[in-house]
Amino acid sequence: MHKLSYFFCAALFGLLLTANPQNVAAGNRIVIYDDIATEVVAPPSTLAGVKANDLWVTLADLTRATRFALKPQGVCREQLCFPLPKKRKAEFLSKDGSVTWFNLTEFARLVHQPVAFDSGLSSWYFGLRSEVQNGYLASFKAPNFTLPDKDGKLHSLSDFRGKKVLIVTWASW
Amino acid sequence: MKNQNFEIISVAQDTGGVKDAGKWIEAGHPEYTVLIDKQHLVTKLYNMVNVPTAVWINEQGRIVRPNEVGYSSNAGMSITKVDTTNYINGLYDWVKLGEKSAFAMSETELRERLTPQNPDWAMAATEFSLGQYLYQTGQGAAAIPHYKEAQRLNPENWNFKRQAWALSNAEKEYGTSFTKEVQKLNGKPYYVPLRLPEKKK
Repeated sequence: MHKLSYFFCAALFGLLLTANPQNVAAGNRIVIYDDIATEVVAPPSTLAGVKANDLWVTLADLTRATRFALKPQGVCREQLCFPLPKKRKAEFLSKDGSVTWFNLTEFARLVHQPVAFDSGLSSWYFGLRSEVQNGYLASFKAPNFTLPDKDGKLHSLSDFRGKKVLIVTWASW
Repeated sequence: MKNQNFEIISVAQDTGGVKDAGKWIEAGHPEYTVLIDKQHLVTKLYNMVNVPTAVWINEQGRIVRPNEVGYSSNAGMSITKVDTTNYINGLYDWVKLGEKSAFAMSETELRERLTPQNPDWAMAATEFSLGQYLYQTGQGAAAIPHYKEAQRLNPENWNFKRQAWALSNAEKEYGTSFTKEVQKLNGKPYYVPLRLPEKKK
């Protein structure tokens, strides 16, 4: 299966790879990205430039939690690459000894991605980037999704290409 | 309509997953695809605010009619106040005629109907999602402030309200109930009224 679909499926199996706030190691945080929860370590209190409620992660945790990686051309995932503004490097990167920390909440602001935060449970949820959310308004292309049926078998909207489709939502509540 | 290269995908917006939606699926013996969306992803991706919401998509994966109330019959019309007759007739018309159907929207109509999501609505979806994560990992009490924030930021989204209310004692935790909120509408329609093309001559 395509790498991206693999992660997407994992997310849709109801947070299969879930880190649970009830058993997070002391001081650690939870990042929920693409609906996948990952436990990450907190920076030392000596790290320069840290503001309250900002989420700084190691470069290893950045990739573990989001699949984005710091590259010379920017912060990238597969074909997607966001250059960091040169004059604002210090707002995104900070060094403590040999470890480089990355400000994931500042990055979210840069790419227009909403973030919800729970201080009591040290959990950050990263929502849909506005270009993902609004991308179809110009193209009229129906946003794709992959979801399980009641037996757990996955279906994607794109599997139905070549047919007319009626999507209809409902709920038990 | 299956032989006409037409498919229905029914998507349950249910945090409880199969546990909540399963019995409805089995009771209906559906011949179409029924998916379970615990994270309300379809609601978020398509900026939906209610159920049932329907979207028509053509063979190329392009939206033909965006979000509209999608009842399949008038069985509940006394409560829903939605007469779905012309909508369903329109659906048959489109399945038969495709882009030539008067019910297939032009780009101008689509542009008018598809509104960009504002930052408050995007934040509401994100707060709701954090609430979902906390609820689904056994932190129901911690989820409530985030569900409330989602409701405050996007008061028009009934999915965010009704799902949250259904997961706890709504009267106790939110000081309201679905019945009370519907009464507050005071005659204003619960569903955005259907706007369909005039009857063909």
